[in-house]
Amino acid sequence: MSRKTETKKLVPQETIDIAIAKAVADGDIVNFRFLFLPYSPLREDSTEDINTIKYSYLLPSEEEENSPKFKSALELVKRPDIREHINRQLHKKGPPQLPSELILMLADNAVSQGKYTSASQAYELLRIRIKIQELFFQQGDEELAKGNISNAVRAYRIASELEYDYGAFPEPLPAVPKYQEHALILHGEYKEKWEECIGYLPIQKFLTESFNYLFLRPEHANRILEKSIEIQTEFLVELIHQIDPNWSKFADNVSKTVPILQELYQEIKSRRERIAQGSLWEDEWVEGLDTEKFLEIPKILLGRKISPEEWWAYLKEIAYLHPASPLFLARQMISKEKEIILPRYNPENPVAIALSLPPLPQPI
Amino acid sequence: MSEELYIDYFSILGLPEDCKTGDVKKNYKKLMKDLLLEIHNISSLTPAELDNYLLKMAMLNAGFYILRDDGRRSNYISHRKKVIELEKKWCEVAEQNPDSQEADRLRREYDRALQDFLTKYMEELVLEAGRDRECVETSNWDPFHERHASRVLRHYRQKLYSQIHERLPYYDVSKPEIDWNERRNFVAKIVKGEYPEYE
Repeated sequence: MSRKTETKKLVPQETIDIAIAKAVADGDIVNFRFLFLPYSPLREDSTEDINTIKYSYLLPSEEEENSPKFKSALELVKRPDIREHINRQLHKKGPPQLPSELILMLADNAVSQGKYTSASQAYELLRIRIKIQELFFQQGDEELAKGNISNAVRAYRIASELEYDYGAFPEPLPAVPKYQEHALILHGEYKEKWEECIGYLPIQKFLTESFNYLFLRPEHANRILEKSIEIQTEFLVELIHQIDPNWSKFADNVSKTVPILQELYQEIKSRRERIAQGSLWEDEWVEGLDTEKFLEIPKILLGRKISPEEWWAYLKEIAYLHPASPLFLARQMISKEKEIILPRYNPENPVAIALSLPPLPQPI
Repeated sequence: MSEELYIDYFSILGLPEDCKTGDVKKNYKKLMKDLLLEIHNISSLTPAELDNYLLKMAMLNAGFYILRDDGRRSNYISHRKKVIELEKKWCEVAEQNPDSQEADRLRREYDRALQDFLTKYMEELVLEAGRDRECVETSNWDPFHERHASRVLRHYRQKLYSQIHERLPYYDVSKPEIDWNERRNFVAKIVKGEYPEYE
């Protein structure tokens, strides 16, 4: 008679400890939560095996095991009360109750590694996200009062990136910057007049547009908009540099477009004169413009040709590479069907000057 | 227990619970007029101010729409009371025996009731109020307002949900003990780049 034997796999305590410590040290909330799910490879009653190659990412490498971050996480995991809590949850049927001490350490590690979406989820679980966010804003204000713009910008950036998108469907999620989408909204309307273009707005309006575009929530932008224009200007320049360490590449590309821009504006000027003289119909002013030549402008700005060669496609790509660039761009028609994106800003704009953007040909 | 997070349309319109329909209309018209004047006097609105005013307008419209109708008013009062009661009951059971099945059952029941309450009175009826003839006439609410209000209301609704949760018993994580001085030091170190592993 054959006898059915119940086989339960045994997960060594050491494996449990190091897998959890790795998720904490990495600031990885997704892996951390996964380790407690019903099908977690750490559970004895799960069919999943932690020793298979597909779960190797859950275990630390030799190098990671020697890092101070991992060692301090492991020390906390091994604390008797926490270890007991972990084991109780791994044997529990039903939703686990995660140990808050480990989540707090995980969140801090995530912040220190710039993994803000992970950090915000961990703080949200602990119900302290909004207070932590406020602490970062307060620290930012303190740094501003001391005149330390770089630290202040860092504090504001972290605070803003710990934001949650409560409007996300079907459930709230950490908010993330969507510069490619917002750049399109920023340029949704074709500006007929130069002074209406973002880069030509009066400085306070320009700063308001900029902060609302670069920060995740209007409330965050409002905090810095309460300061003096000088502080806001300095802050914006530093913010752009911190968000985009390759900003100088964009400034170089803008410089390369200057000769073609001059040609374009010269062409527009002569056509306007012809309209005034009556030798050209106003609604035909773009007839015969060398569109191929002017299509080079967005290519130079981006650094490559893309398909489709539409202004919005270039704008999205440029916004992805250089998030702040849409603040210094505008749409321009070059034929009845064709529009391009080109640099346009007031050469006296203090932000443009501080960001080393070259002087551009002036409105005609 | 603070009840103010469970949207109180009576206090939004500055009225007691036994107020007459006439008072609802009178207060609504006055408050909406004041609000529109306030908005009119601002030369340009920042996106944050825009969201804030939109929310205020939507809440006044909803308050008027719900409280002026006896049926809607009594539904609102009983729904609100039920959620408040459930919170109280769950908190009591969770305090005595947090791991009991009864605590888990009450938590689920409360959560469902809270979500329904917030969805109905912080989103559905608010948008419905925006299409009410009297509300449209008084507040000049139009499809543009509605489009933007959907996003603002959703955000505000979930924010309220999360704020209410802050005071409730912990169930998905063990109760954290937060030392706020230590937190302040951590934040300062991160910002100053003094945290050992800041990358």
